[in-house]
Amino acid sequence: MTTRASSEGHPALSDQDWGFATVDQKPEIYNPQPSRMFYVYLAMPAVLLLAAITIYPFLWLIYMSFHKVGFGNASDVFVGVKNFARLFNDSKYLQGWGLLLKYSAICLSIQVVAGVSLAVILNNSRHEKILVTLFLMPMMVSPVVAGLLFYYLYNGTFGWYHWIFQSLGILDETSILGSADTALYGIILVDVWQWTPLITLITLAGLKRVPQDQLEANMVDGAGSISNFFHVSLPNIYPFLLIAVLLRFMDNFRFIDAILALTGGGPGNATRLLPVYLFDVSFKFFKLGRGGAIALTLLIVTIILGMILVKVLEDPARKKALSGDTDG
Amino acid sequence: MASRELISYDKGVAVKVLKWASPIFLTFYLVWSLLPLFIMLVASLKDLLDAFSVPKPGDWAGVTIFFDFSPTLTHYVALFTENGFGTYLFNSLVASIGSAVIAVTFGSMCAYSLSRSEFRGKKDLLFWIISTRMAPIVAVIVPLYAIFRSVDLVGTLPGLILAFTTFNLPFAIWMLKGFFDGVPYAIEEAAQVDGQNRFQAFVTILPLVAPGIGAFVILCILFAWNDFLFATIIGSGGAKTLPAATKELVQPQNIDWGKIMAAGIVTTAPMIPLGLLVRRYLVAGLTMGAVKE
Repeated sequence: MTTRASSEGHPALSDQDWGFATVDQKPEIYNPQPSRMFYVYLAMPAVLLLAAITIYPFLWLIYMSFHKVGFGNASDVFVGVKNFARLFNDSKYLQGWGLLLKYSAICLSIQVVAGVSLAVILNNSRHEKILVTLFLMPMMVSPVVAGLLFYYLYNGTFGWYHWIFQSLGILDETSILGSADTALYGIILVDVWQWTPLITLITLAGLKRVPQDQLEANMVDGAGSISNFFHVSLPNIYPFLLIAVLLRFMDNFRFIDAILALTGGGPGNATRLLPVYLFDVSFKFFKLGRGGAIALTLLIVTIILGMILVKVLEDPARKKALSGDTDG
Repeated sequence: MASRELISYDKGVAVKVLKWASPIFLTFYLVWSLLPLFIMLVASLKDLLDAFSVPKPGDWAGVTIFFDFSPTLTHYVALFTENGFGTYLFNSLVASIGSAVIAVTFGSMCAYSLSRSEFRGKKDLLFWIISTRMAPIVAVIVPLYAIFRSVDLVGTLPGLILAFTTFNLPFAIWMLKGFFDGVPYAIEEAAQVDGQNRFQAFVTILPLVAPGIGAFVILCILFAWNDFLFATIIGSGGAKTLPAATKELVQPQNIDWGKIMAAGIVTTAPMIPLGLLVRRYLVAGLTMGAVKE
């Protein structure tokens, strides 16, 4: 018994082929051994801290979403599901979802096409290391600084990017952020600038694991390098891309720093993605009850996306493809 | 290497076009990637008059006026003497390093025990941990602000450290669990046979995961340093950090672009070498450990 106590949790030792490992599961649960408590104590500070800063706010959020939150001495009034019901008539809320999806779709398409092309070109090229290093520099920039930097570059009178757009005949005097038709593309370009390198890095990690023998077998069959890419490399890097896209999509829910710096949601509502709208409702109009309801719907969608992500990560076939045989 | 020889059998037109297009695309992307950073650096060294001069639209030869200026450090000096950026730099350092150290200390203990124990609901616990990391900050910041205000943590460095820990702690737990999973249990068993207790055995294997721990401290610093929403809302008042202070330089009238660009450089410059230092762990860190290089 003593051997078991110290070896629990270790995958190799708790395997069935030890015979006794599966025999008595019950006593372990009903009679926790001292070693089990050791793990509990060790995990406790982090779990308690995390619970305090996540579960409590979450419950508060639920409370707020069912109330009209008062200010100062005014007390909160219970309003039932009114905050949620009103969302369906709130055109800015519905538009916010639409914009969030449109923004994400355009961003991700550009990032995947550019990022994968870049990775394919860079893979095994002569200056791969130094080029990758240079490319990933925008990722280190604080998103709000990136937003301010492009705000300067887009400026209608002295912005260099605006000058380039104008000289190429893409824009007239109005800056890209000044018109409701183009502002969304203005914020998309910033995201593309910052985060395409991430897709490149992830794709490169995937390309390094494409089995050489599959490539060679395909070529012996008379295929060229383009066919090789579509028939061998792409299926192999697909799980990597799926994760990259899911993560980036979730980040679009999380990060609105650059958008706040660039447009703050304007002009009109052209760039008021749902998280930006939520920021306005809570921090500009101080409608905390309605903000709570919006936040809750946003959270639920994020949690569903997270579940999909974890499913993707834990699918045994994908897990094998992702970890690969070569480790770094 | 055989594959290289085989590739040279390609003779299609498409392949030729691609061979031509690749370097062009690469050059274009390199310029697109670095030009904004370069312009930020140069603009931070120009006085206001130079910074506002662009050639007429279509006047491509006029580009040279971009380089036609005498460099000055006035914006940097002004940031630190007039705008109090010294304090903001200090706040940034304390808040990001503080939260990184807390997150990785508690995170490694928790990750170790999650890696070594089996219990019912472990999967759910892990999902809860990772979901707290993925939650949109705008969604949770209102209740968090209310809670922080009720215990007088708004506008203080401890409050900001705690706020940054909300995203750094789950990150540290999740990443370090992957690291501990890779350390064979036999090492701790041997340590225990030598008469060490369980905690000493845990400490024994720490050097094995030290590179990972170091890298995740740096990544946590990076995330916290670059954060904006917590820094403006929880840190507003007494604990403003660099990104929040930089954004505040944008006033409705009279935007001082030289200062803003200088502040952008001050905020960005320390993070680029740090990021490159943990280059090997970057992909793993940014994909929550799903993809390793």
